[in-house]
Amino acid sequence: MVMMPKRVKYRKSQRGKMKGNAARSNFVAFGEYGLQALEQSWITARQIEAGRVAATHFLHREGKVYLRLFPHKPVSSKPLETRMGKGKGEPEFWVARVRPGQVMFEIGGVEEDVAKQALVRVAHKMPIRCRFIKRRHSL
Amino acid sequence: MAKNLQLNATIRENTGSKAAAKERKQGRIPAVVYGHKKEPEAISLDEHNLVVGIHHGHRLMDIKIGKKIQKVLIKDLQYDHLGRNIIHADLVRVDITETVKVTVPIELKGTAKGTQEGGVITEHTDHLEIECQAANIPESIVVTVTDMDVGDTMHAKDVELPPGATLSSSPDILLVTCSLVAAAKAAEEIEEEVPAAPEVITEAKEAEEEAPEEKAKE
Repeated sequence: MVMMPKRVKYRKSQRGKMKGNAARSNFVAFGEYGLQALEQSWITARQIEAGRVAATHFLHREGKVYLRLFPHKPVSSKPLETRMGKGKGEPEFWVARVRPGQVMFEIGGVEEDVAKQALVRVAHKMPIRCRFIKRRHSL
Repeated sequence: MAKNLQLNATIRENTGSKAAAKERKQGRIPAVVYGHKKEPEAISLDEHNLVVGIHHGHRLMDIKIGKKIQKVLIKDLQYDHLGRNIIHADLVRVDITETVKVTVPIELKGTAKGTQEGGVITEHTDHLEIECQAANIPESIVVTVTDMDVGDTMHAKDVELPPGATLSSSPDILLVTCSLVAAAKAAEEIEEEVPAAPEVITEAKEAEEEAPEEKAKE
């Protein structure tokens, strides 16, 4: 199921900029292992879903997969063979804005090597470089 | 392992983000020492020595500033956005005999019974706040989960603390649960749930505002 918000204030949004690094969601908070973004990008709802499916299929219902990102931003586009002008295009898909450091997926309840293999599969579905991280329990 | 570590510190004359960045480039970590109703001191520590000390489980350490040695406890560490490097340390002055409030990580031990029946162990809290003597701070609190069945929960009050330590966190904090993973929904159910487009709040408001006006005209 591709994710999208239930209610929004405005249907369309401007592109915006993604400066700097992730100031929050930059550590493993729910599971034991995580996949951290090393670059900034828009991650589409389809890519998030592909990652989730890849992880859950690999884990065979063992463990738990946590999604730490949500596609809040609508992206609009104009139909093919349309002349310029006549207003902004219609929303086509939804994206999550990801900055370096953001933990995108987490896995808990499985061994480290299993979690690593699952998250490698998720990383292949992502349009950016990612790295595998572990939860930091102590200081 | 010796529990005491001594680090040489230098006073930072210039404070602020630019001065701190300069320190970090030179392989030093900016830190602050406070507590015991004395003036806080901005210092810097050698990065390598501090990181090695922390990896070896040192929480309590001696800081040598000039000729003066102070006993301090690591209160907080700040990491960079990737969580790789320490960028700042908060150190609080302590006495060895003093009782201090510290957060100690929880270490789960064993394989739960429930995992053989398809259950998953979920750690809801990974640390507890305890009060103990500064000299006897445990590295971690071991929680044995071998007896946990599907549906069982473990709270902070159920944990056996090391001798001399008392629980400071709420005793009702949920630590660990053993539960079954929710069954995947059928494809038909999912299709029904998917809306074509999200509801627009502003449009709904405008429609509401227009409706009473039309009624009034009628």
